[in-house]
Amino acid sequence: MALSGIQIYKLLPQTNCKDCGFPTCLAFAMKLAAKQVELAACPHVGDDAKAQLSEASEPPVRLVSLKSNGYEVKAGNEVVLFRHEKTFYNKPGLFIRLRDTESPDEIKTRVAAADGYKVIYVGRELALDGFAVEAASRTPAAFSAAINAVRQISHRPLILISRDPAIMAAGLRLVDGERPLMVGADAANWQAMGDLAKQHGAALAVTADTLDGLADLTVKLKDLGVQDLVLDPTAQRLGASLALNTQIRRLALRKNFRPLGYPVIAFPGDADEPAQESILAAHAIAKYAGFIVLDHFAPETAYPLLVLRENIFTDPQKPIQVQPGVYEINNPNADSPVLVTTNFSITYFSVANEVESSGLPAWLVVTDAEGMSVLTAWAAGKFDAERIAKAIKTFNVADKVSVKRVVLPGHVAVLSGELENELPDWEIRVGPREAVDLPAFIKQSL
Amino acid sequence: MSAEIPKDSWSGTVRTVTLGATPAEGGTRSHVVTVGGQKTLPFMHFEQVAPNRPVVAVEIKDRCPEDWSPLLLEVWGDAAISPAAWAKQAEAAGAHVLVLALSLTGDDGKPTTPQAAVAATKAVLEASGLPLLVFGPGQAEADNELLVAVAEATKGERIALGICEDKNYRTIVAAALANGHCVTARSPMDVNLAKQLNILIHDMGLPLDRILMDPTTGALGYGIEYGYSVMERLRLAALQGDAMTQLPMIVTPGFEAWKTKESKVGRDVPEAWGDWRERAITWETLTAVTLIESGADIVVLRHPESVRRVRQAIDDLMTVPETV
Amino acid sequence: MVNHMAEHTVTFDTAPQPIHVPTGTLLVEAARLAGVDIHQPCGGQGRCGRCAVVVREGTVRRRSTLRLSGEDVANGYALACQSVVEGNAFITVPPQEAIERRLTTDLTAAAVAVPAGYNPTQAQTVQRVRLSLPPPSMDDQRDDWSRLQTTLRQQAGIELIRASLAQFQQIGRALREGNWRVTAVLDADAWDCPGCPARLIDLQAGHCPEDTPLWGVAVDIGTTTVTLWLVDLLTGQARAQVAEYNRQITRGEDVISRIIYAGKNNGAVELRDLVLETINGLLETACKRVQAQPADVVKATISGNSTMIHLLLKVPAESIRLSPFVTAVNDIPTLTAREVGLNIHPEATIDCLPGVASYVGADITAGVLASGLEDSDGITLFIDVGTNGEIVLGSRDWLVTCACSAGPAFEGSGVVNGMRATKGAIEEVWVNGATFEPTYRVVGGGKPRGLCGSGLIALLAEMSLTGVVDKGGNINTVLPTPRVRLGEHGPEYVVAWADETAHGHDITITRVDVDNLVRAKAAIYAGFTVLAERVGLPLETVERVLVGGSFGKYINVEKAVEIGLLPDKPWDCFHFLGNTSVRGAYLALIDREARARVKAIAARMTYIELSADNTFYEAFTSALFLPHTDLSRFPSVQAVP
Repeated sequence: MALSGIQIYKLLPQTNCKDCGFPTCLAFAMKLAAKQVELAACPHVGDDAKAQLSEASEPPVRLVSLKSNGYEVKAGNEVVLFRHEKTFYNKPGLFIRLRDTESPDEIKTRVAAADGYKVIYVGRELALDGFAVEAASRTPAAFSAAINAVRQISHRPLILISRDPAIMAAGLRLVDGERPLMVGADAANWQAMGDLAKQHGAALAVTADTLDGLADLTVKLKDLGVQDLVLDPTAQRLGASLALNTQIRRLALRKNFRPLGYPVIAFPGDADEPAQESILAAHAIAKYAGFIVLDHFAPETAYPLLVLRENIFTDPQKPIQVQPGVYEINNPNADSPVLVTTNFSITYFSVANEVESSGLPAWLVVTDAEGMSVLTAWAAGKFDAERIAKAIKTFNVADKVSVKRVVLPGHVAVLSGELENELPDWEIRVGPREAVDLPAFIKQSL
Repeated sequence: MSAEIPKDSWSGTVRTVTLGATPAEGGTRSHVVTVGGQKTLPFMHFEQVAPNRPVVAVEIKDRCPEDWSPLLLEVWGDAAISPAAWAKQAEAAGAHVLVLALSLTGDDGKPTTPQAAVAATKAVLEASGLPLLVFGPGQAEADNELLVAVAEATKGERIALGICEDKNYRTIVAAALANGHCVTARSPMDVNLAKQLNILIHDMGLPLDRILMDPTTGALGYGIEYGYSVMERLRLAALQGDAMTQLPMIVTPGFEAWKTKESKVGRDVPEAWGDWRERAITWETLTAVTLIESGADIVVLRHPESVRRVRQAIDDLMTVPETV
Repeated sequence: MVNHMAEHTVTFDTAPQPIHVPTGTLLVEAARLAGVDIHQPCGGQGRCGRCAVVVREGTVRRRSTLRLSGEDVANGYALACQSVVEGNAFITVPPQEAIERRLTTDLTAAAVAVPAGYNPTQAQTVQRVRLSLPPPSMDDQRDDWSRLQTTLRQQAGIELIRASLAQFQQIGRALREGNWRVTAVLDADAWDCPGCPARLIDLQAGHCPEDTPLWGVAVDIGTTTVTLWLVDLLTGQARAQVAEYNRQITRGEDVISRIIYAGKNNGAVELRDLVLETINGLLETACKRVQAQPADVVKATISGNSTMIHLLLKVPAESIRLSPFVTAVNDIPTLTAREVGLNIHPEATIDCLPGVASYVGADITAGVLASGLEDSDGITLFIDVGTNGEIVLGSRDWLVTCACSAGPAFEGSGVVNGMRATKGAIEEVWVNGATFEPTYRVVGGGKPRGLCGSGLIALLAEMSLTGVVDKGGNINTVLPTPRVRLGEHGPEYVVAWADETAHGHDITITRVDVDNLVRAKAAIYAGFTVLAERVGLPLETVERVLVGGSFGKYINVEKAVEIGLLPDKPWDCFHFLGNTSVRGAYLALIDREARARVKAIAARMTYIELSADNTFYEAFTSALFLPHTDLSRFPSVQAVP
C-alpha cells in the first residue's frame, strides 16, 4: 500500500532541518509519497522507517527491457489501471513478425521497409521498435538463416519465437551480447528455456492459456533464477484479451500478486482477417500490453498505431492543450475578424464554441501558452505581447486577411500597448472579458 | 499457483436509454434500440454480462455534404443526394441507428427552413425502420428553430434531439419533454462539465433515461486521449454510484476522424502516411474502437467499411470468453 | 388524538384580542388574522429564521426547525411560517433585533481585546524612559552621548544604545532644551538581533507626562484593502481602526497586474508611493481620532501578502509571478520608517512579518498566529478569503498551506455594484421565493449604496435557492418579475430600485458578477479540498473551520455553505475571525513572544503548489456550480425545501 504524505511524515524525524533540500519534513514526505524523491535524501531517517518506506516503493509490474546495439525497448513499471490516475509510463514495443519459412530475400525486403519507416507526428519522429522471428519451419538452420537475414538489415531488438529449446539455442547464439525476448516457455519446456534465458541473459515469455498456468510458470522460473519474464496469455480475440489483460494488471496492482507482476505480450497478427489486426493492436496499446507483435507492416496502419501509442501514453497530468495555430471558424474570409486566445483546451473550446454557434466567421489564433488559460498564462508570463506577435507572424495571419486587426481577450487589455509596439502595422482591439460576449462584440464593434 | 480473479463490485448501474418507438408504443419504428444498463466497466463479462451491446450509428445528411471527404462522397454515391436513399443504404451497411445531421443551409444557399428539416426527417423515417437521432446544424438559433419543428412533427417517435450544450439546452430539452423524445447532451471533454449539463437538463424535468451524454472526443492524433480518459472517468463515477453520470455515452468518432487531414486529404501528404483509403478507414475505426473500450455506448460513424469493422469488433468484445 | 375539526384559541402578546382558528393553521396565518405583522423575508419558506416566535403556553407542531437550536426549541421558539396550531396557545412575538441576535449562523468577528494577562512592560520591546542627566561642567567634560548612555544604565538599567546619524545631530539640542531632563524612546530587543544593544528611536526635551500614550501601528496591506490599527503600546489597547482601498488598485486589481506594472518604467516607484499614500492617509485619519500626530508613532508591524510587502519596500517582485515562483525575501530584518518612507517618526521601527512563499505571505502567518491554529489539538482549517484565497490546514503537529487566485469579488471589487463593508453596504439579503422580491440589511442602517462581500454571498445564495439563477449560475430570464431584466452585460437582477438607494441608481447583480462570484468561491473551495487531498485527509476529519477575510463584519455561514464557498459541516465548527492579518500584526506589535511565534509559524508551514498538476483545475471546475457538481458534498443544501 502506498503511504500518504502525512503517514510518511510520521516516520520522519520532524525536525525541519532542511538537510534534504526541502523546507520542511512534511514537504519532503509529500515528495516521497509522490515518488519524486528518494528516501536516501534524508540523512536522519531511522532504520525502522527505512524498512517500512522501501517496502511501499517496489514496482508492482516488473520492468523488462530488450536491448540490441544501442536500442532499448522497455515494458512494465506501470502503477495504474487507468491512465488518468497517474500516467502510463512505458510505451509498448511494436514488433513485426517474420517467419523462417519466408526466403531470406523476402525477409530482407520486409525488414527494410519496416526498419526504415519513420513518420513525423507533432514534431516527433515515430518508428517501429523491432522484429520477431518465428521458427515456423521447425529447423535450426532455417531459423538461423532468417535471423541472419534480419540482422543484415536491422539492428533493432529481436523477439525469437520457438517452443523447441534446441532451435531457440541456435537462434540465441546469433544474437550473443543482446537481450532478446524468447517466446517462449510452456509447461513442457520451461526448464530448458529457463536455462537458456539465464545462459544468454535473455528475457523469457511464458505461454499458458489460463492465469493459473501463467503464474505457475513464472514462479518456477523465478525459482530457477530467471527474473525478466513476460506473460503471453494467448488470447486471440478482443473480448478475451481485454478480460485477461485487465485481470493480470489488477492482480499485480491491487493484490500485489507477484507471479503475474510482469509485462504482457500480444500477437494481433493472429487475427482472423488483416483488417482486425490493427484493431487488436490498438486494443493492446490501450489495454496493458508491453510488447505487440504484428504480422503486417503497411504505412497506412503503422502510422495510426504509432499515433495512438503516443496519445495513450501522454501524461494526463499536463493540462489539456490544443495545437497552436490559426483555426478557421465558420469558413472565414479576408474580411473576417482575427481573434486571439491561448492553447488551453477549455479556453479554446469556450471561445471557438461561442463564435461557432453564433454563425459568425472568424480566424482564431491559438498561441502556445503552455496549456494555460488566458489569465493564468498572462500571470506566469506565457501570454504576453511578444508571444502573441510571434504567433501572428509565424502563422502568417497577415496573408489571410485584408484588414490587419486583432482582437485581444479583455482580461489582458493591459497588453494592448505593447502589442501595438510588437505589431506596428496592426490595429489592436480589446475584446470582451468573457467568451460569451464575443458574438455581440463582433457584431457591434467590428 | 492459483490466482484469485479480482472482481469489482459496484454500487451503481448505468441507466438504460431506449431510442425509437414501435407502432405499439406510439411511433413507427420497426424495432427499438436500448443502450446502457451496465453494472461493470466495459466488457468485464467475468463480473457480469453486459445487458446491451454498443451501438453503431451512421451519420447521414439532409443534403449532399460537399465539404465531406471525397472518399465518403464516392462510397455513398448517389444515395448522398437523397436522405431517404441514404438512410436505406446506411441501414444496409449495418447501422443500428441513424443520425440525421441537418445542414445550416439548403441547396439554394439560404438557411434551412423548419419545413425542409421536417420533410427530410420524415423521409428518413419512412425509408428506414431504424431508430433515429436528429442533430441541428450546431448554431444555437438554427438548432432551436429546426429541432422544435422536427420534435413536434415526429411526436412519439422517441428520437434523440441534439445537441444540447450548456449555453443552449433549454429550448431543445423543452421540445423533447413536450413530444416524448430524448436528447443528447454535449460537453467539452471534461467530467465536471458533462455532469453539470446533465444536472441542468434533469433540473428541467427531463427524466434521466431520456438523456444521452456526449462527452466529446478528439480523433486519433487530435486529442483522443482526453475523450478516452474522460469517458473512463465518467463510467467509473457512474459505477461508483454518482447518479448524474449514470447515462449512456454517445460519441462522434466519424465526425472527428473525417475532419483530420489524415482522413480527409489524399494528395500532397507525407509518403509515410501510406494508402489514403485504408488510412482513413483505420483512422475512423481505431478512434471508434478505442472509445468503445473506454465506455462509449453509441459511436456515430461515416464510412460503411468502418461500420463493418467496428461491428465485428463489437461482436468480438461481446463474446463472453471461455477462459473466464 | 388530535381533533382535526376543532377550533383553537390563539393569543398573540401584541394583538388586541385572541383569535379562533382550526387545527393545522399556520402561525403566520393566525398572526395575520390577529392583526400581527410577522416579518418573513424569505417568503415563508423556513429558510431565514426571521419569523421566530415564542410559544409560551399550548402546543404547536413544528414542521421545520431549521435555523433554531435545540435549546431554542426547548425554550419555546418556533418558526411561524413552519409551525401549525394544534391546540390553544399563547404566543409572544419577539422584537426583530432580538431574533437577529439569536440566529446561530450569523457569525460576527470577535471584538479586539487586549489578550488576557497581557503585561506591557514585559511584552513590549519599545520602552519610554524619563532621564535626568547630570549637566556637564569643567570637571565633567564627558560628551553628550556618553553622558546619555551612562544615565540610561544608571536610571533605566539599559546597557548600550545605537542611534542614527540624524539623532546625533539632535541629541545635544534635546538635552539642553530640556535642561538635561529628557524622555527617551528605545527599541530594546529586536527579534532579528536578540541581545543587540537597544536602539534609540526618540529623544525629547523634558519629561513627558506618565499617561501620554506611546503609539504604534499594526498595518495589513491587502491587495484590495489596507487596514491600520493605532495602538497604545503602554496598554496594548487598539484605540483606532481604519481601512481604505489600496490606492494601487488604479494600477491593477490583482497582484499579477501590479507586479507587471512595477516592472515597467517608473512603475515600482509609483506603486510604492501609492501604497505609502494609502497608509499615510490612514495614519492621518486614525491619529486625528485620538488627537495624536503621526510623528508620535514609534513602531509599526506590517503584514500583507508577499507581493504587497515587496512593492512597499520597492524590492523587485517579478520572480514572484514567474516559474518557479520565488520571492526576493520572505523574512525581512527590521527597518526604520525613514528607510521605508512611512510618515511616522523617522526612527520608528518597521517590522515586516515573515511570509512562507510567493503566494503565502505574512498575512497568512499573521493570520495563523491570530487564529491560534498553530496550537490547536484537532485538525483545523483556516480560510482567508481575499483577492488571493489562502488556506492553511493543520494542527499543533503540522501545517500545510496553499494559495489560489479568487479575485477581488468578495471584497466588493470587480463586481458592478460591489463595495467595501462600510456604511451603505448591503450586508445581508433575503429573496422571497414566491414574488422574487428582496429584503436587505444595510451597514449603518441607511439607504444602500452597493453590496459588500457578505451581501454578495447572501444574495447569490438566495438567488440560487429561489431559482433566480440555475445551478450553473445562469439568470433565469423567464421569471415573472421586473427585477430580472436584460442589462448592458446580459441578464441581471435588481436588488434595489433607484428610489430606495443612496445614489439614485438601481443596485443590480449581473450575470458577469455571478460568474465572478462563482469563480471566486470555486477557487477557494477547490483550494482547501485539494490541500486536504494532498495530505491524504478527508474533509470530515476537520474539526474547526476558521474564516478570515475582509468581506464584511460578519458572515452568514449557512449562505456561504449554500453557494459552496465553505464546506458543508455543522455550523458550530465555524468561527469567523474577520481580518486576521491585521489582528496578527497587532499581536506581534504588542508582544515580543507573539512576534517570535510568527517566525516559528513561518518556518514550519509547508507550502503546497496547487498548479503542480491537474488536480486543482479539476476541483475548480467541479466547484464551478451552485453549490457544487458533486451534490453529495452538500447534503444540507439538498435538504432545503
